[in-house]
Amino acid sequence: MKKLTIAVIGFSFFFLTSCGVKKEGLVIMTDPSYKATMFATTKVGFGSPDGLLWHKGKLYLADEGGVAIEAYSRTEGIKKLADAGLGVLSPEDLVIDSQDNIFFTDDDAGGLWEVTAAGQARQIAGKDKGLISTEGIALAPDGSFLVGDGKQHIIYRVTRDGQVSEFLGRDFGITKPESMVFDDRGNLYIADNQDNVLYLLDGDRKLHKIIDHGDSFSPETIYFAKGSLYITDSHNGKLYVYAPGEEPKTIAAFGGQLKDVEGITVDEQGHIFVSIQTNLKQKQGDIIEISREESQIARK
Amino acid sequence: MTVAVLFPLIIVSFIGRLNELNDQLLLLINSVAGRSWLFDSVIAFFLANDLAKAGVIGGCFLAAWYGGKTAALTNARRKILLTTLVAALCVITTTKILSKTIFLPRPEVQSQKIYKLASDQLVEMKRMPVRFMLDDESQKSYRALVGGDVDSNDLGSFPSDHAGFFIAISLGIWLASRRLGWLALGWTAIVILGGKMISAQHTPLDVAAGAAVAITELSVIQFLVRNRFKGLLEKVTGLTLRYSAFSSAVIFLVAFEVSSTMIHIRAFLGLLAAMRRHVLLGMG
Repeated sequence: MKKLTIAVIGFSFFFLTSCGVKKEGLVIMTDPSYKATMFATTKVGFGSPDGLLWHKGKLYLADEGGVAIEAYSRTEGIKKLADAGLGVLSPEDLVIDSQDNIFFTDDDAGGLWEVTAAGQARQIAGKDKGLISTEGIALAPDGSFLVGDGKQHIIYRVTRDGQVSEFLGRDFGITKPESMVFDDRGNLYIADNQDNVLYLLDGDRKLHKIIDHGDSFSPETIYFAKGSLYITDSHNGKLYVYAPGEEPKTIAAFGGQLKDVEGITVDEQGHIFVSIQTNLKQKQGDIIEISREESQIARK
Repeated sequence: MTVAVLFPLIIVSFIGRLNELNDQLLLLINSVAGRSWLFDSVIAFFLANDLAKAGVIGGCFLAAWYGGKTAALTNARRKILLTTLVAALCVITTTKILSKTIFLPRPEVQSQKIYKLASDQLVEMKRMPVRFMLDDESQKSYRALVGGDVDSNDLGSFPSDHAGFFIAISLGIWLASRRLGWLALGWTAIVILGGKMISAQHTPLDVAAGAAVAITELSVIQFLVRNRFKGLLEKVTGLTLRYSAFSSAVIFLVAFEVSSTMIHIRAFLGLLAAMRRHVLLGMG
């Protein structure tokens, strides 16, 4: 009997260790004209990135798990631009101005932060000015910043010298302005991933609910490129593309350990990059590139 | 040395052939789907309706429980059936753990363009050209799949927990009563598992693996209980005869749960897990 028990346990152990039982992930291309490739993993030196931004041939990362702002390119590797030593806790989202200065938010430390093109890092405005838990950030045409606060339920305007004023107050009903971006007409898209609504603030400061599908759509990060709005949904593990007046179209669905799709950016050639928080606690993440198949590009 | 080189090659070649055969067999079984709305609706009905799907198995279980012609025979049958219930619980636990750890999406999911994470790279999986059923519910699921709605349960199809659970119960019924057992096994194989393969929810290999778990665990547990826990088993079966009204009520609940694939118990366990998270750990 003992031998039988040992044999069963031994067989089970062999079975479990020989069948690739580690947690796996997958990407389903609901639009088959796209393909997915792994652009970078934690092995290159980042932790678990949230915000992503493509700028002048490099990917800039708001690395929530690694508590840092980083720049990455395949030729130069990873470069840390700011880290916990500055006082940041959970870098969330970032924008870069035309002078290559980086501005980012932090949902735990709060505030608006800057890393200049020369590499100097500082806090522009902090919790003392009401920026308690900063989420989405957008660079306004006048050079100021719109910063969403998830705890105050307010979108603030922050100038470069640290002046903070209310841009959209609580009366607008936006619970968690997780991500924001301007389109090419000056409209502001706002993603609220708590109420699961995508808003559009037009030039007349009228707020429109563009998409409100309940739990089936939860916009995490939005990015505007070439007339389309690209949206990630970390609750449902999806990547959408949205064109005004149409329903959002799913490009890809993410499953298994790749489900937590967070940041998104698009390069000049239209390649989409998404950050995946594979395991935030263990500081593991991936960056996946979603691009058109060669034949599709040739056809176009 | 030669053996050390050849053995892995033989294993790889064997697995390759097995997968090929598995795919061919699935496509053959699935080839009847998507041709007739009526046929597909009948298959979908038996897959979705607990009474039609598993009510027969629950009925066979109850018939075997009460069907002994003498008290000794009833006693013997109940010992087998009680042990079967323990084995079925172990089987469903094993198949659930395995399917959550072994990553193998359902064949219907594999019909889409999928990239799988393998050694830090995304590798495109072979697409399964399965046919989709035409009934309303299947078409709804198909549209959801094309739209990217994939349930996490659809990512781990190996082994089939339906195969494991129902084969364990049916086999236990067969050990207690041959006639009822054949009926239960036949219903499991043709109606429950046949439907799963026609609708491309499971491959023959998923079903075979579930069956292997069921047969192995049922045999081991029957052997263990009869040899190590004989006294306890005698006592429990004796109690079912002495307190027949109470035991009838309990066995009705058991048959009810078997007929509904233990969905209510799973919901209750889910509630307990949620309570633990919210109350004890203070999350959410």
